Amino acid sequence: MTENNPSTGVSRRKFMALAGGAAGFAAMAAMGISARDAACSVNIPEIDPEKVATAESETDVLVVGSGIAGLFAAVKGHDAGARVLMVSKGRLGASGQTPFAKGIFAYDPAREKLSLDEFVDKVSRSAMGTNNPVFTRQMAAHSLARVRELEAWGFFDSPLYFDAFSRPITERGIPVMERIMITHLIKEKGRIAGAAGFSIDEATVHIFKAKSVVLCSGAGGFKPNGFPICDLTHDGTVMAYNIGAKVTGKEWNDGHPGQTTNAAACYDGWHGMFGRKPGRTGVEVHHDLGVEMNYQAYMAGNPLAGGPLGQNRGGQVSGGPYRPEGFDDRGGPGGPPPGGGPKEGGAPPGMGGNPVGGSSAGMAIHKSEGLVPINADGASTIPGLYAAGDALGSYMAGAIYTQIGSSLAGSAVQGGIAAEAAAAYAKGQAAPEIPTRKRLQVQEEILAPLKRERGYGPAWVTQTVQGIMIPNFVLYIKKEPLLTAALAYVEELRDHHMPMLRAADLHELRLAHETANMILNAEMKLRASLMRKESRCSHFRLDYPEMDTKNWNAWINIYKGKDGSMKLEKQAFGSWPL
Amino acid sequence: MTIERIDGCIGCGTCVKTCPTDVIRQDPKTGKAVIMYPADCQICHLCRLYCPVDAITISPEKSIPVVVSWG
Repeated sequence: MTENNPSTGVSRRKFMALAGGAAGFAAMAAMGISARDAACSVNIPEIDPEKVATAESETDVLVVGSGIAGLFAAVKGHDAGARVLMVSKGRLGASGQTPFAKGIFAYDPAREKLSLDEFVDKVSRSAMGTNNPVFTRQMAAHSLARVRELEAWGFFDSPLYFDAFSRPITERGIPVMERIMITHLIKEKGRIAGAAGFSIDEATVHIFKAKSVVLCSGAGGFKPNGFPICDLTHDGTVMAYNIGAKVTGKEWNDGHPGQTTNAAACYDGWHGMFGRKPGRTGVEVHHDLGVEMNYQAYMAGNPLAGGPLGQNRGGQVSGGPYRPEGFDDRGGPGGPPPGGGPKEGGAPPGMGGNPVGGSSAGMAIHKSEGLVPINADGASTIPGLYAAGDALGSYMAGAIYTQIGSSLAGSAVQGGIAAEAAAAYAKGQAAPEIPTRKRLQVQEEILAPLKRERGYGPAWVTQTVQGIMIPNFVLYIKKEPLLTAALAYVEELRDHHMPMLRAADLHELRLAHETANMILNAEMKLRASLMRKESRCSHFRLDYPEMDTKNWNAWINIYKGKDGSMKLEKQAFGSWPL
Repeated sequence: MTIERIDGCIGCGTCVKTCPTDVIRQDPKTGKAVIMYPADCQICHLCRLYCPVDAITISPEKSIPVVVSWG
C-alpha cells in the first residue's frame, strides 16, 4: 500500500522545522495559519522528530478516553474533590463506540417485574456462569441514577452526544485535551505516575503526571469492515499490559455480522440508526451476539445470495455453539447494536440484506475483555490504575451479550465508580515524579516510527493482521492447528515488523501505534483461544465443542512475564485475583 | 470512495474534530475541510451528521486496497 502522506518531492529527511512553542507558531504563521483557531488540524507534512516539542500537564486523576465511561469518570472524579484532566484520541462524545450506541438500560424497580436478585440470576444463567455478578448487579443498581443525569444534560434530545456531554464538563470547568493519543502508562516505584502520548495535530509529545489514571479507552478490534470501531485498537489494554497489569477476556468474540452489499459501510449497514436519538431499555435478558451464524456459515457455506444459512433460511446445520435453555435464538442475524437496542425505531443492524461475518472482528463481547479488576471499583493490579467500561474486563454481561442497552449503562456506572475510587486514592498520594531518563525513553518510543528511514507502512501491516486473524476458520470456528499457525504469523509480525513500523506524518504515527497494539491483541486472542479447551458462550472450539465445567469455570488472565513473554493463568469464576 | 465531496464548507473544523479515524483535515491556505486520508474512513457519517451546513456527501462504497507482499 502507498503511504498516506500525499506530499511529494521532499525527502523525508529534509524536514520542515515545525517545533512547538514560538518557533512552531512562527512557522505556522508563515504558512498563513492561525494557531488560535482550528487550523492546527492541518497536517504537518514533514516533521523533524529531533525537534518535537514536549508539553507537560499534572493532575490528580487522569481520565483517558471521552466516551460515556470517560464522561462519568471526569464528572464523578471532579465531584469527589479531585483535579481531573480528560485526554482523548478523538472528541468528547464522538469517539469510540459511544456515539453509535442508541439504547441505554435503566433498571427501574418501580417498573420491573424482576427483582434485582432475579435479574442478576437470569443474566448468570444466560452467561453460563461467565459473568461477574458483582458487576452485573452494580450496573443495574446504579443505572437509573446515571440515566436521570444524562436526561438532565439533554442526552435524549439529540442523536449527537457532544453538546450533552459538554454540559457537565463545561459547568465544572474540567479541562479536556482532544486528538492526543496516549501510548504509554508510566509506573514509578510500583505505582502509577502518569501517562504519555502525542498530538496528531502538533509536533508535540505530551507527558501527564498523574496520581491516578482511569482508563476509559474502550475495547478494540482489527479495524474491521462494517462496525464503527476503527479508532479502537485496545490501546488501554496494551499500555496497561506493558507496565505489568493483568488483562482478560481475549478468547471471547463479538459475533456481529455485517452485510454483503457495501460491507464496509457502517452507517448504511445499521440503517441510519446512528442518526437517531437514543432511547431507554428495560429488563430484557437474552443470549445474543455469539458465533452461531459463524458456525452455520463454516459448516454449510454461503448460499448463492450470500450470507450463511441460518434461522428462517432453511438448512440449519446441527451442532455448534450450545445455547442455554430458556434463551432461544430470537431469529435471524443481528442482535442488538453495541450498547443497546434500536428502541427508537428502525431496522436493527444486519437485518437488511444478506449477512456476512466478522464485522466487529477483534472485539470481544462488551465488558468481557480488558484490565482485570481486583475489586468492584475497577482498580487494576497496578496501584493507582483504574479502568471502566469496555476497557475493564468486568464480565458485567458475561461472555455473551445478555441485557440490551447494558453496555452504555455499564460504562456510565463503572466510569463514575472508578473515578470516585481514583479520587480517594489520589488524596493519599504525593505528586508523582517522572525521572528524566524515563521521559526520554518514552519519548523515544513514541517517536520511533517517525525517525525510521525505512520500514513497514502501518496500513500494510494492519492489512496483513486482518488477513491472518479475521477468517472465520481462525477467529471464530477455532481449532488447534489453525490457531497455532496463525500464532506463528503473528509472532513474526511482533518480532520483525512491529519494531520496523514507520510513519511519514502524525496521522501515520497514530496508525503505527494502533497497529502495534492490534498485533499484541492478536497474540493475546490466539493464546487465550488455544488455552481454553472447551466451548462456551462466544468462544467455540471445533475440537472441544462441549462445555467443561470441571476445568473451565475460570477466566483467563494474561500478563507480561519477567522475561517479557506473554503468560496466561486461570482465575476461578467468582474470585478476585490474588 | 468513502467521503465523496465536501461542498460549501465554511471552515469551522467540526468535521475534523468529529471524525473518529482522522480522515479530514483543513487546508492550510483556504481553511476548508479536505479529504486527507480516505483509506481510513469507516463510513460512520459522524462528520456529515455534525456538519452545520450539510456540506458532506458520503458514498457507501469503499475500494479495497490491492494486496501486496510488502508495504
